[in-house]
Parts: sequence; structure tokens; C-alpha cells
Amino acid sequence: MKPIDLWRSGTSRLLLVYGGLFALWCIALIGVIQWDTQRYLSNVVDLKIDHISEYFQKIDRARLPEALAVTESLDLRDVISHGLFDAQGKLLLGNLAQIPAGLPLDGKVHPLEHGVQRVEGHHPVRARGIAVHLPSGELLVFVRDTSVIDTVRAIIDRAMLWSLPLVVIPGLLGALLLSRRPLRRLREMETAVQPIMRGDLRRRLPLSPRRDELDLLAGIVNSMLDEIERLMGEVKGVCDNIAHDLRTPLTRLRAQLHGLQRETAPDDPRAALIEATIADADALLDRFRALLRISELEDLHRRAGFDDFDLAATLRHVVEIYTPLAEDKRITFALEATEPLPPLRGDPHLVFEAVSNLVDNAIKFTPPQGRVRLRTSLEREGPRIDVIDNGPGIRACDRAAVVQRFYRGASAQSEAGQGLGLAIVTAIAKLHSFRLEIAECDGGGAKVSLLCWAAEPAAAQSLPAGMG
Amino acid sequence: MPRALTIEDDTVTAGEIVAELTRRGLAVDWTANGRDGYERARDGDYDVITLDRMLPELDGLSVVTRLREGGVQTPVLMISALSDVDERVRGLRAGGDDYLTKPFSPDEMAARVEVLLRRHGGGPRETALRVADLELDLIARVARRGGVELELLPTEFRLLEFLVRQSGQILTRTMIFEAVWGYHFDPGTNVIEVHIGRLRRKIDTPGSIALIRTVRGSGYLLEAH
Repeated sequence: MKPIDLWRSGTSRLLLVYGGLFALWCIALIGVIQWDTQRYLSNVVDLKIDHISEYFQKIDRARLPEALAVTESLDLRDVISHGLFDAQGKLLLGNLAQIPAGLPLDGKVHPLEHGVQRVEGHHPVRARGIAVHLPSGELLVFVRDTSVIDTVRAIIDRAMLWSLPLVVIPGLLGALLLSRRPLRRLREMETAVQPIMRGDLRRRLPLSPRRDELDLLAGIVNSMLDEIERLMGEVKGVCDNIAHDLRTPLTRLRAQLHGLQRETAPDDPRAALIEATIADADALLDRFRALLRISELEDLHRRAGFDDFDLAATLRHVVEIYTPLAEDKRITFALEATEPLPPLRGDPHLVFEAVSNLVDNAIKFTPPQGRVRLRTSLEREGPRIDVIDNGPGIRACDRAAVVQRFYRGASAQSEAGQGLGLAIVTAIAKLHSFRLEIAECDGGGAKVSLLCWAAEPAAAQSLPAGMG
Repeated sequence: MPRALTIEDDTVTAGEIVAELTRRGLAVDWTANGRDGYERARDGDYDVITLDRMLPELDGLSVVTRLREGGVQTPVLMISALSDVDERVRGLRAGGDDYLTKPFSPDEMAARVEVLLRRHGGGPRETALRVADLELDLIARVARRGGVELELLPTEFRLLEFLVRQSGQILTRTMIFEAVWGYHFDPGTNVIEVHIGRLRRKIDTPGSIALIRTVRGSGYLLEAH
């Protein structure tokens, strides 16, 4: 099973969507936590600055430098900057070099995104600051850097970065593992469906003891197949019964006509009429015989009668039998075998019948002085038999239909034939799991091929599962 | 007069068989029951038996198996509605000498019965066959008409040999196809007709008496006049 197929499965998709949603949800959750934490920490910082500024506002102006010095000495982590400025904005006391740019002088805490300018240089850390007017007209500024808040933000961001792969990677792995089993089941079903698609309606989809949704589906398909098989059986039964029931009286009719013919002198004017009637009865009988033959072949599900046989010898028989027929029509008919063929597993009589039908058709539809070739070749998968003629060919639109009972293409109308030859060949091919291919050859005639691959090679004695 | 036993439970079919064989000069006894048929075949002195495959009490396969086990060698024509190749093989393996599928034409049935009668009556294997001035050397595989050697292909010789062995009897195209090529299906009228036509052109040369005759609606016949 290719990994790419695994990702295509429904379970995988479901898990991927779920994983994606879960990741989004994680991001949202962490975002909320981040936002709330930032807000809370900012409030804490604001409160603190507020308290400090309120405290210093109440202190006597004369004691202010001393109190500021104490505050500075207590600020071990150096997070608070302060400055006392005169009305012109000149620094009187503290470590702030100037009134921070962008800080409204309104006695409220404001963020300072770009840090502050301290006496010893620029302090680029984000901060929050407050500027209050003292009764003396001077300006007191406190700035507290908020790097703690940023550190907390970074910690939460990092946690999110870590948690995303932790959510996504196990999710993907889970999808891979979880979708394997349903996919394997589907593959089993696909394998089981192949013979059904080829027409073996007795096969059913496999069911597992778990009774999951796949089993439910397989169960539904199986019931449908039961019904289709029953209906097909009924239709076929009706056809067979008609053919069979009509054959007996027809045979009697023909026998009676024959009796009449015997009692009629050859020069009697009625003799010709009787002969024509017998010919019609024969044509009808032939048709019924072929119909029943197809039905019989379709019923032959067994392969017990199969054996390894010499395909080349069988084909030589066909040539031997049909050469005089071709010669009578002045048609060139030859066997073209490029390489020796290995033994073929199957029923030699049926393969002979199939190839005979193909050759018979080819000779029938090829105009006098035409050419019919019976060509064999050995392909990688097995022997291939081509019957090629230079007759009118079989139109592409007719190709699917000619293999069915009672179909004759437009060009066949003028020729005698039951239209059942290719249906018989199809039934024989199906029985052997061979393939019948109808194509056009370069000269415009028909090229009908029997691809004998699915037949097990001679060495393999085992039957495919479920066959036999 | 050769004696035939017809074991057949369908009265209409039995009537046809009896009528056709009687018409061809056989004395025919009929029974509809398998067990009774078996006993009659075992005790009676019949030259040929037509045996239905499906019979009440004792089916056709069992009848022929028991007959062969009991040493009765009377030729048996099995007649069955089952046309499956397997059925045919089973019937022949059990000891049947020939197999015919229902529905059949009385001609075909009678032709097969006559072939069985002939085959059974044949003595030790011949080395040569002769009809009128047509001679077949079965060892050298050479045929002569009026002393003149005929140029025959191996298939043509086999076909001729079959016609000569059954000379005087009508042979249907299915019988010919089965006997000469060994395949059991009806190849259609043309194929056999063409082969017979070619053989006829080689055997019945202008000026000689025609030996091979086409019997309209039935088949072919080789006989001396």
C-alpha cells in the first residue's frame, strides 16, 4: 500500500481536519491565555507605578531627593527609572536623561514602546511610565520596564510553538495508522469485486466479524448481488427454456419435413419448397443450438476438465479444417507462427471451437480473393492468437455489441450467419479467463484476438482461490 | 434382422426411435424403465441398444456400467438431454459407444445406430478396405480407384476411410466431424461440405461412377451402385 494512498483515505482526511481544528483551537486557547496574562501583568505594573507616584506626590519636596535615592537603592534589579524635571523639562534629579518622548504628562500610566533615554544611555526595553506634576511645578516621572511581561509572553509563545508539532505529528501518525485497516479492507473488497465485474456473479464481498460501517456497506452490496444473480438466473432460465422447449418440436417438424421430402419425387415442383422449408428449419435449429451452447458454456464454472494442451497443434487443426473452405472462396488463409508456443492450460475442444468460430467468421466476411491470417505470438503474459482479415472490419461502435447474443453488425446482414459466433467465443474466453479483443487492422479489416494470459501456465497446477 | 432395444421413458421420443429403426429394418423392443431395460439387455440377445440417460428406477449410466461389468458387450447409443462435454465423457467412460444429445433428428440417431451395428459386426482389424473399384490400403495409407493411385492429403484419407468403413450408411456432418477430427460440436454446413466436395473431385473423376452421394437434408453416403 503506497503512503500516498493512505493520505487519500477518508479516515486520514477526517483526522487531518480534526488535527487542524485542534491546532487552531490550541492557538486560540493559548492566545486567550496570552492576552489575559499580559493584561493582568500590565495591571500589576500599572498599580505599582501608580502607588509609587502617589507615594512621592505626598512626600515633602525637601525630602524628595533622599526618598528617591532610597527607592533607587532598593531597586536592585534596576527596573525603575525616575526623574525629576523642572518646568522647562531640565533634569534635576534621577537617572532618566529626559522626559520620555511620547509620554503624556497627565498623571496616568502609559506604555512606552521604545524604551527610555537614561543618563547612562538608551535603555531599549519596553516600559510603562507615568508623569505627575508636583505642587512645586516640577515634573516627576517614573518608568518601570516591563521586560518581565515580555518574558512571560515569550514563554507562552514558545510553549505554543512546541505544542503545535506535539499536536500535529501524533495526529498525522494516528491518521496513518488508523486509516491502514479500513484501506486494507477496501483493497480486499476491490480484489473480491474484480471477478464479479468480470461476470462471476456468485462471488460476494468479504465481511468481517466487527460489523462496522464497511461491513454494513458490503452487506448491502452482497444483498444487491444476490438479487442481481437471482434475476439474471431467471432471465437466463427463461431464455434457455424457450430455446429448449422450441427445439424439440422444431426437431420433430424437421423430421416430418424430411419424411415428406423422401416421399416427394425430386422433379415434383413441391420438392424445392420442401427443401427451402427444411433449410429454414435447419437455420432455426442452428440458432437454438448456439443459444443453448452459450448458456451451457456460461454454466460451466468448473475448470476440472482443464488440462495442458498443445495450442499449436489445435491451431494446425483449425487451419487444416478451414483451408479448403477458404480456398473455395479463393481466400488466402495461412497460419503465421513466429515462435513456439508453450502448453496452454484449458479445454482444447473449447479453444478449438473458439478459434474455429473466429476463422469461420473471418472467411465468411472476407470478400473473394481476400486474405485471412491466423497469427500466433508469444507475449510476456502468454500466447496471443490473432485472426486478421481484410474484409469490411467491425465498426468501433459495434464492437461491444457483437459479442452479445443475437447481434450482427451492419456488414453482416448480407451474409448467412447466426450472429452467435462471437458470443460463443466470448463465453469460451470467459470460461478460460482469456480476453477477446476486437480491433481494426492496418488494411481496414477486422482483427479479433484471443489473449490467453489469465490461464495459469502449465507449471502452476494450483487453481486461483475460489475457482474450481 | 438385427434386433434393437430402446430404453426410453419419454413415449414420444421412444415412438420416434422405434418408428425410425423399424423403418430401417430393425426389430425394436421398447421399455420405459431402467431396471427392466437392464434385465432385458442382459438376458436378451440384442445387436444394439439405445439408452436414455435419465430413467426411472435405474439411470442410464448405471445401466451401461452394470452391463459392461456383467460382460455384456452390446453396443450402446446413449441419448441424453444433457449436452455438456463432461456428460458426454462420463457416458462414454461408463461404457457407452456413442452419445447423442436430445433433441435429435431421427436420421442422425438411425445413422449412429447403424454405425454401431456395423462396428460391432466387424471382425479382426482389416488392412485393406474395398468398395466397388475403390481400394484403401490402410497400412500404406494409399487409396486407388480402378488401380490408379489417388493423391490424397492425410485428412482426406481419414475422411475417405471413415466413409468407406461405413459405406452404405448415411453419415451426418456431426458424425463425420467427430470421427475424422475428433471434435464434438456442429461446425456448420459449409466446412464438411467443402471437404466432401474436394474428396469427391478426387475420387469421382469424370467418367467414373460417383461413389459419394449427398443425401439432401441428412448427410453423406458412400456406396457402390
